Amino acid sequence: MRKSKHTWRVLLLTALCCLIGASLGGTLAYADTGASSYNYSFWGRTVAAPAAYKATTVLDGKELGIGALKDPSDLHVTPDNQIYVLDSGNNRVVVFDSQFKLIRIIDSFMRDGKQETFNNPQGLFVTPQKQLIVADTGNQRVVELDANLSVIKVIDPPQSDLLNANFKFQPVRVIADQAHRIYVMSVGVFDGFMEFNQNGDFTSFIGANRVKVDPTELLWKRLSTRAQRSQMVMFTPTEFTNLDINDEGFIYATNGDVWGDTIKKLNAQGNDILRRTGYFNPKGDIRYTTEQGPARLTDIDVTHSEIYSVLDGSRGRVFTYNGDGHFMYVFGGIGNQLGQFKTPVAIERVGDDFLVLDKAFGEITVFKSTEYGRTLNEATRAYYRGDEEKAFELYNKTINMNANLEFAYSGIGKSLLRKGEYKEALHYFEESYDRGNYSKAFLLYRKQVLREHFPTIMTGIVVVIIAAFIGRVLWKRKKLRRMRGVSIES
Amino acid sequence: MNRELIKYPFYIIMHPFNGFWDLKYDRTQRNNVIISFVILFLLIITNILSSEYSGFIVNIMNPDDMNSLMEIAYVVVPVLFWCVANWSLTTLMNGEGRFVDIFTSTCFALVPLIVINFPWIWLSKVISLQETAFYYFFSSFAVFWSLFLLFVGNMTIHQYSPSKTIGMILLTVVAMGFIAFICLLFFSLTQQMVSFVNVVYKELALRR
Repeated sequence: MRKSKHTWRVLLLTALCCLIGASLGGTLAYADTGASSYNYSFWGRTVAAPAAYKATTVLDGKELGIGALKDPSDLHVTPDNQIYVLDSGNNRVVVFDSQFKLIRIIDSFMRDGKQETFNNPQGLFVTPQKQLIVADTGNQRVVELDANLSVIKVIDPPQSDLLNANFKFQPVRVIADQAHRIYVMSVGVFDGFMEFNQNGDFTSFIGANRVKVDPTELLWKRLSTRAQRSQMVMFTPTEFTNLDINDEGFIYATNGDVWGDTIKKLNAQGNDILRRTGYFNPKGDIRYTTEQGPARLTDIDVTHSEIYSVLDGSRGRVFTYNGDGHFMYVFGGIGNQLGQFKTPVAIERVGDDFLVLDKAFGEITVFKSTEYGRTLNEATRAYYRGDEEKAFELYNKTINMNANLEFAYSGIGKSLLRKGEYKEALHYFEESYDRGNYSKAFLLYRKQVLREHFPTIMTGIVVVIIAAFIGRVLWKRKKLRRMRGVSIES
Repeated sequence: MNRELIKYPFYIIMHPFNGFWDLKYDRTQRNNVIISFVILFLLIITNILSSEYSGFIVNIMNPDDMNSLMEIAYVVVPVLFWCVANWSLTTLMNGEGRFVDIFTSTCFALVPLIVINFPWIWLSKVISLQETAFYYFFSSFAVFWSLFLLFVGNMTIHQYSPSKTIGMILLTVVAMGFIAFICLLFFSLTQQMVSFVNVVYKELALRR
């Protein structure tokens, strides 16, 4: 009796599992990857996507042979794939090659014959000429060293009419452009990034965020007295949270806005020129609960072909977008498993791989692209280069792996349009909800069809006109005869 | 006779003043009501076809959100609310129209929405993004034409002055809001009562 009951239960359980499995298989695009990757559809729904990146290794200081990293806060990778890690707690910079073999440790430098060290540095940047720029936060200065570690210049707290009397220089992130201007993100500065010229003199602020006013706050301010108002929080622009520069010299920056654009691409004048032609403005997750709030972006990394990635510090996710603002893929998360972090602070690309630096654990997680990720990266690059043939092939491969990737259809459509296959292009543009290109393809298609069938159409029209004319004449004659008949009768 | 029935709605939209007068005083009520229902039916069909078959350029629609039954409700409910609200107000305000007059005149006023929008379902398939201006122009033109017919119809069947008609139309819209509010209240209360009874029943049934 008991045994039979048991077997029944087992049977029931297996049946249930089968049912659940069957129902899941229908909805998930790629259940076998097992990763919690996703994308957003045109309609703003979360749809399953295969994982584009997978964590392969986690490296801590001991494994790397340099002793534990203590509160590391920044990473940088040079074009020849040397990896610079800023070990803030130990006041040093550690340099690895792409295989994570130690090249050297930089913990001091010579200045005017004296040895100097860093004090809790927070940011670093390496120019293509291997000049190292460190935001030496504790010493309130920015240090620029050349490849042999001799000082090129040191930027001390600047004096300027633009700055307050009680201004405190606390540089936390730095970048430099090809003209060797240095852009510094300093704590407590609302006016944008501080720009220093080649000699290290402060020239101006660049790219200030706009002040965003909360309507309810504004109402309260209107209603309160002057004394009350002076006690209230002032409306100040949000601070930037991080920045990066691409090979064309555009600054990509993230800020802590709650609404508004959290990712910006600044040109030399400080105007935001980021293309936002994707289905949604790039800003991390677009679906979130009100308790969680929107993504808090803490790092940005831009690579070739205008592909850029941002790090959501609060959820530990890395989002990657292409130059048009289409969301490509996401990976990471907060947790204790491989590929998850506690306090991620910096992301960098080494070739096609990603490095994510975890401050609290002092670890670097290496993510390698999957087949899907590689194909998508390649497709995006081919498309950016204008290599339509290659892009067509790669995008086709991509949608075979992820049918939910809507912007890929647009890529296919554009190659077909270029080839002159308008009808097929229409189909693909419709799949990707791309009205502009659909219209373009449609106009060409319409012209083609009309031209092909012009003789038939024209003949048809002429025949109809003649038929109508004859019909009218006959009808009138008939009517006339009837009227005559009526008149005779009466 | 049948030919006349088909021609009449077109006559009314072209000559609204004479047309609505005839509607109220000269024509058989039974035919009017039949035509009205046919118009409503055609409008529903037009709307369903339009959301399903309009060209991609003017109609990006999520197939998951498309529901033909809801399309019926989107036509029937506003018309019903309008007629009830209008009747309730005009009976108090010396309007001469009966409920059936209000209903038929409202339905006849909707004819432009069918006549103009129906061909555009198919035309919208062969236009480009630049030419959508025509599409939007014609659909708003249809709406304004219908509103004008609604105004003339209301004025004629109630024998109001133009200014009074406008006032009544605005009041009717407010009254429709009230009706909607009361309906929502009613459904929400019913739902709560049902769920209360349900919970009590469950408590008793599951008690051991």
